[in-house]
Amino acid sequence: MAEEEEIVGEVEALQAVYGDDCLLLQTYPPSFHLHIKPRTADDSSQQFVEAIIGIQAGSKYPDEPPAIRIIDSKGLDEQRQKQLISCISERASELSSCLMLVALCEEAVERLSSMNHPDGECPLCLYPLVAEDSGSSEPFMKLMSCFHCFHCECIIRWWNWLELLKESDAPTASGSASSSGSIRDQDEESRRKCPVCRKSFLAKDIEHVLDFVKTQHAVTSSRSEVNNEDKILSSVSEKLRRAKFDAILKLQQEKGGLIEIKKHEVLRPGIYLPQPAALPSTASTEEAKEQQDKDLAANSRTNSSGSTNKPNTSRARNSSTKKHQGHNSRKQVAQSSRKQVTQWVKKENSNAT
Amino acid sequence: MSASSASSRKTLSKIACNRLQKELAEWQVNPPAGFKHKVTDNLQRWVIEVIGAPGTLYADETYNLQVDFPEHYPMEAPQVIFVPPAPLHPHIYSNGHICLDILYDSWSPAMTVSSICISILSMLSSSTVKQRPEDNDRYVKNCRNGRSPKETRWWFHDDKV
Ligand SMILES: [Zn+2]
Ligand SMILES: [Zn+2]
Repeated sequence: MAEEEEIVGEVEALQAVYGDDCLLLQTYPPSFHLHIKPRTADDSSQQFVEAIIGIQAGSKYPDEPPAIRIIDSKGLDEQRQKQLISCISERASELSSCLMLVALCEEAVERLSSMNHPDGECPLCLYPLVAEDSGSSEPFMKLMSCFHCFHCECIIRWWNWLELLKESDAPTASGSASSSGSIRDQDEESRRKCPVCRKSFLAKDIEHVLDFVKTQHAVTSSRSEVNNEDKILSSVSEKLRRAKFDAILKLQQEKGGLIEIKKHEVLRPGIYLPQPAALPSTASTEEAKEQQDKDLAANSRTNSSGSTNKPNTSRARNSSTKKHQGHNSRKQVAQSSRKQVTQWVKKENSNAT
Repeated sequence: MSASSASSRKTLSKIACNRLQKELAEWQVNPPAGFKHKVTDNLQRWVIEVIGAPGTLYADETYNLQVDFPEHYPMEAPQVIFVPPAPLHPHIYSNGHICLDILYDSWSPAMTVSSICISILSMLSSSTVKQRPEDNDRYVKNCRNGRSPKETRWWFHDDKV
């Protein structure tokens, strides 16, 4: 049976290993909180989950295993929280009567590392971003500006679709975009809006995925790609393509393309800017929201200079004679603040094509 | 969006089918309050019953929405109209066409039938007056040849200008 001294020694070792991540509440019997992150998360951008677990030993430790619970966690749904605790507890009973604190902490980090993936569904296809049985998952990516995640294939399909629309709209769109001095703010080609939150992002956010697709489909024009998507998906080269996507995903992870999603922020298709009341009140979310609001405000200013993805705006102004007094947009439930200063205008079909 | 009207008569792509099946399954588990999907075997056209929310001008009134999905849904917005008789509302024309930006320019592929329904109900619920849009007669006359609302040029106008 372990002496108190030995246990105190164990706690010292624990603190040496985990440093600031270990918050010691009591030396004997040992009780502490451990802040655990996935092993891959030295670069915080590769991190989807984290947790603080509480380990509390009783006076009969180590003959009786310590109590283990989750104090706080991010990105872990209830099921994974339970799984995490039960794995650590299981390890604890295996190690019964040994000094096990460091081993338990390692087990915790190990388990958490295996759970380092985001929750929820791809907002475009509604299938899970990460399949529970793993292995069968599609590669996914995140938008750096807003942290929304999509399957690579899904966001590329969407991107190509917009490119296609732009082509067909080219006569109206090209004028202002090319003559602009400030590429960063004005060049329409370099910006898109997230399908979920409409926060604008730069093309470079996803260009590593796009570049790849371009090389894969150099022979196929973007137009036919949309039409042939089903064929492409079932083709023999698909496996190869998937493998390359995986490689790209890795690259993208290195570039810091991964995220941390909180359970209550699970990507819900169709929901735009979250209602303030429904927002989790963590600092990071608030910051993101603030940033978002700023961006929206900025957008509404750029809007009036005709640089958004609504090439119609300038025409609307020019054709004021044909304009109807429209309806205001209060009917929108979850729309951006930009919409509050806009108004509906309907024009008779001008049969543009 | 000129591409949309042309393709809306084509059959659904595989991706559109998968997505709609997923939406339908989710709807069956968790339908938006006040809506009932009238089950048919036609995945490409949904008919959805709407019941006006209690305490609003449309309380207890029942209407039908018809949702037609284009080949490349959800890249393209579905066509959503009220099956006449449409509710009397300043943004709803008597032919059932709905002036709601998310159905046209502000559509995003991250939206779903369910989220559209919620927007439409919210639009109904916030109405303070039961009347047609001012230009109803002219608009409806222009649509007499069966034009889709997606062919109407709806857009935002910055009212500060
Ligand atoms: Zn997807
Ligand atoms: Zn987003």
